[in-house]
Amino acid sequence: MKLFDCNCSYGISPRPAFRYARDPAELIAEMDFCGIDRALVYHAGMRCSSPAFWNQQFATEVESFPRLEPTWALLPTQTGEQLPPDEFLAAMKANGVRALWAFPSEHHYRLDGRTFGELLEVMTERRIPLFAKLNLIGLGDFMKEFPDLTAVAVNQGPHSLERYLRPLVDTYPNLYVDTSYYIVEGLIEEFCARYGPKRLLFGSAFPDNCSGAALLRLIQADTDDATKEALAGGNLERLLSEVRL
Amino acid sequence: MKPGNPSVIAREYMERGSSETCPLIDMHTHYGPYPGAYLPAMPPDKMRHALQRCGVKKIVCSAHEALLGDLERGNTLMQEGIDECPELFLGYWVVNPNYPEAVVRLPEDFARTRGFVGLKLGPDYHTYPLTGSGYAPALEYANERGLIILVHTWGDSLFNSPQQVAAVAEKYPEATFLMGHSGFGDFETSVRVARDFPNAYLELTCVYIAHDFAMQPAGSGTPLPLNSYLHVNGIIEYMVENASAKKIVFGTDMPWYSPHYAAGAILFARIDDDARHDICHRNAERLLAKFPID
Repeated sequence: MKLFDCNCSYGISPRPAFRYARDPAELIAEMDFCGIDRALVYHAGMRCSSPAFWNQQFATEVESFPRLEPTWALLPTQTGEQLPPDEFLAAMKANGVRALWAFPSEHHYRLDGRTFGELLEVMTERRIPLFAKLNLIGLGDFMKEFPDLTAVAVNQGPHSLERYLRPLVDTYPNLYVDTSYYIVEGLIEEFCARYGPKRLLFGSAFPDNCSGAALLRLIQADTDDATKEALAGGNLERLLSEVRL
Repeated sequence: MKPGNPSVIAREYMERGSSETCPLIDMHTHYGPYPGAYLPAMPPDKMRHALQRCGVKKIVCSAHEALLGDLERGNTLMQEGIDECPELFLGYWVVNPNYPEAVVRLPEDFARTRGFVGLKLGPDYHTYPLTGSGYAPALEYANERGLIILVHTWGDSLFNSPQQVAAVAEKYPEATFLMGHSGFGDFETSVRVARDFPNAYLELTCVYIAHDFAMQPAGSGTPLPLNSYLHVNGIIEYMVENASAKKIVFGTDMPWYSPHYAAGAILFARIDDDARHDICHRNAERLLAKFPID
């Protein structure tokens, strides 16, 4: 089974985990310890300090680590901190970035059409996945505005949020969920039984959480092997292969 | 690719989902429906199935109903659950100091139970401090009987901080205090309490998963909001190093958190297999040994 972690990071944050990866080599060591083949990665600085700086810096840092695929974080263009959409997309292409993250609470903006309209329209057209760290009330409003965008609901939990989540997954076929906080017993199995195996993505949320915990949960999920293969990496591979930069 | 983790126990769990030599004893579980969340493994048959898949050989439960609703009905439901499956289920009798008559009646009620090994206290849920006088009769009773007391704890809580556990652990040395969630967020204090008081233990439920309550539309679900804590990787190593593996017990809040997820956090922590045995089952076996069960 090929494991492709959709949600992990390295780098220095102001309140670090008890154990974390300072650089790409340490992240690779953590992946080796758990047997994780590849990872879609962000840099802690993109979340905690300056996306404008760390997006570019980080893409350069991981260039020589083919098991790590970089993502970038969004900022509004109105403040001049992020390039206009056409230039931003060109830069993504030049740096091999095929997915984006939004951290609205960390970066203090609204993830909506007023703030990001043009970029989100282009992302929808080019099938660029957006990993949205947004609670499910906010995500519901967002998906209503951009129902065709490929969005991944990340860090949803650890409590069971099914009463919020299922109406959204029922309504928006392009909404995916990462497993990093989806740890209530039976949720992965019920999700796959209800929606099929294509809409869950293996994520560890390392170093917020322990990679091995997410790994054992997935490996021992009460599903068939084909479902596990899809969650482990097949779904993420497919989403990224559909991106047109 | 194969994991580089050299642990024999981890390999066993990865390949088979459980371990004959290193089973799990879950010291923090619940029973019955919970109003604030859909829990697929809540029905007892589904819970038993999940526990069996992960090789959990014993759990100690308290009823959600007793904690969050009708105390008496909930404790009765828990007894019924134990009676249905005594080989797997043990119980904690829930104490709610907002019903002082029930606290006074505790010795008489507890004496009639079968399979109960102690008390469950949820000060954050009952908005009553662990050190308040309303809990004192129950703590005195537990101290006389050498019972296990599982206390919900959370860092900086007004009602059940690790500092408050230190106060009662000192006052009631014959009772065993399990710090549920290990005083989540104030792990440094919790570890010191577990290190300094022979009768205080760290309990791992949800310790292995970061909590950002801003991501949960209804927040923490307690009457007063609980603090978030965003980065927990490495916490088990920190606990083993500073409080010792002998002072940590396994827990999941089942039917909440997946025992495989919780086990994975221990199996992939940078600790040795001897420590894993202590955390997964040996410490619990030692604590439960004095109770007439099995």
